[in-house]
Amino acid sequence: MRFLPVIVTAVFTATSHALVEPALPVWNLKERAELEAVGWIPGAIFLTDTPVPDEPLQVEQPKPEEIVDDLKASPEIAEKFLPAYFAERPKTFLVDPQGLLSPADYRDRLSFLNYHASDSSIDLFVYVMGGEQEIPSDVREEEVIERFFSEGRPAVVVYYYLGAPQRSVIYLSPSITDSISAAEQHRALESSVMQAFEKIRPSEQIEKFLVQISIRIYWMERMLAGGPAAGDADPSARAAVVRPAVAGSAQLIWLQELALKFAFPAALTVSGVLLVFALGFWRRVSARYRFPDLEVEPRLGGAHAAGVGAVISFASAALPPASQRDQVPDYLRRA
Amino acid sequence: MKCPRCVQRIHRAAASCPHCGFTLADADACFGEEEVRIRSLTDSAGILRRGDREKVELAMERISRRFPQVFVAIYTGSLGEVANIRQFGFWLLNRSAFEDVPVEKPNEVGILITIDPESKAAGMVFGYLLDPFLEESDTFECLSRAHAYWLEGRYAEGILRVLKHLDGILRKRSRQARRDPEHFERKVTPPAQMGDLVRRIRAGHRAVIQQDETVEVVP
Repeated sequence: MRFLPVIVTAVFTATSHALVEPALPVWNLKERAELEAVGWIPGAIFLTDTPVPDEPLQVEQPKPEEIVDDLKASPEIAEKFLPAYFAERPKTFLVDPQGLLSPADYRDRLSFLNYHASDSSIDLFVYVMGGEQEIPSDVREEEVIERFFSEGRPAVVVYYYLGAPQRSVIYLSPSITDSISAAEQHRALESSVMQAFEKIRPSEQIEKFLVQISIRIYWMERMLAGGPAAGDADPSARAAVVRPAVAGSAQLIWLQELALKFAFPAALTVSGVLLVFALGFWRRVSARYRFPDLEVEPRLGGAHAAGVGAVISFASAALPPASQRDQVPDYLRRA
Repeated sequence: MKCPRCVQRIHRAAASCPHCGFTLADADACFGEEEVRIRSLTDSAGILRRGDREKVELAMERISRRFPQVFVAIYTGSLGEVANIRQFGFWLLNRSAFEDVPVEKPNEVGILITIDPESKAAGMVFGYLLDPFLEESDTFECLSRAHAYWLEGRYAEGILRVLKHLDGILRKRSRQARRDPEHFERKVTPPAQMGDLVRRIRAGHRAVIQQDETVEVVP
C-alpha cells in the first residue's frame, strides 16, 4: 500500500503522454508560395472529374500469320463426323457423334425420345450440333430426309444447335409433309425454341425443347387422326430402330408379363370366392324356416295360446334382468 | 309352462291351474270376453314415433317373411295398477283378432309382446304352434336385450333388439326341430297314464305287447 500513490502517479503520467498526438506537418511558406505561383492548388486532383492520367498500355499487335489463321477457322462440322450424321438412317433417335452432350444428358434425352416413340405414332429424330457449327454446303438436308425417312413410321427430324436453339431446323418425313402445313411446322418449332430459352444452360435448353416439340407432335398426330397411320404399313421399319432399354424397364416388362399370365386365373378365383360368399349371403337372407305342426292340447281354456313367457320389469336400473330370471309369484319371494 | 296368475308350473293338458284354478274365464272376467279387433302393432300408449313405427313394422315383417308360419304382434298400453301383464297377454292373444294378419295365420302362430310403460313392465306370450319350441327362458333372453333401452325410454330400439334376438332363437329352434323332431314331439306327448305303465310292466317292456294290446282294444 505504500507504493499506491507512486503507481497511480505513473499511470496518470503514462496516460497523459499517450493522449498527446504528434504534430501535423507544416508547410514551408516559401515553397508553398512558389507552387501556388505556377497554378498548383493543394487537393485539386480530387476536385475534378477528369481521370487521373495513366501510363499507356503496351499491347502486342497480332502477327499477320495469326490473322490469316483466324480467317481460316471454319464453323462447318468436321468431315470425320459427317458419315455418322448423314451416311445412313440413324439407329437411335438422338444423333450426337461429336459427343456434345454429356453422357448423362445423352442418356436422359435418348430415354425421353424412346418414351416419345413408344407413346406416339410419329417418331422424333434429333441431330445435335454445336451452337456455332454449320452443316457443310455439300450436304442437302432435304435430300437426307427424303432418302432416309421416306419409309417406315412418319418422323419429325430436328437439327438442333446446342446453346443456340433459335438456329434449329425442323423437317417432316415425306409421308406427313403434305398433311402438316408449313405454318404449323413453324409454330411447333417457334414454341419449342421459346420453351428452350426459358433455361440458360444448353443441356436444360435441349430438354425443354424436346418436351415441347413432343407436345407439338402430339397435336400433329391429332391433325392426322382420321387417316391411316403410315407407320402401320411397314412395322419392320419400326423394328429397325434400336432402342436401348432404360434402367428398370426389363423388370417392368417381366412384371407385366407375370401380371398378364396370372391375371385371368386370379380374377377367376376371386370372382369364384365372391360368388360363393354372395350365394351364401343370399341363401341366408332368403332362407325360410318352418316348424313342425305338432298337436298341442289346449290349456287353461285358451283356444289359441297358453304359452305365457317371461315378464320383465324395467322400472329401475337397480333391478337388472339377471335378478329377474326366476319368475316366481310374489308370495314366494323373500321380503 | 306356468300359470299366468300364480306363476306355478302346470302340466300339459291342464284345463285349469291345479294350484289356483285359473282359466281364461277368469281373465275374461277381468278384461272382457268379447273379441278385440286390433292391428299387429298397436301403440295405445303412444310411445313410438312415426319413424320408429316404420322400423318396428319392418322388423316384424322380416320375421313374418323368414318364418312363414309365424307372426309377431306388439301391444303397448297402460294396464293400470290392478291388471296383471301376464294375464293380460294371455287374454289378448286368445281374444284378439289381428286385422292386418292374413287369415291363414291364426293366433296359434302368433307371438305377442306387451309393454306397459306406466308400470314399466313387458311380457311375451306365444301361441300353441311355438309351444314345443320356445321356453320361458328364451322369451326372458329376448326381453332382457331391451332392458337397457326401455330403462331410458327408448322403446323402439328396445323392441328392435327383442325382435332381432327372437329371430335368432326361432332360426335355431327351427334347425333343431328339423334335425331332431322327436325331441320336440316328446314335449307335447300326453303323459303316460297309470294303466299304461302297469301294462308295460306286465308285458316286460316289450314292443310286441303294444301290437297285442292294440289287437285287444280294437274289438
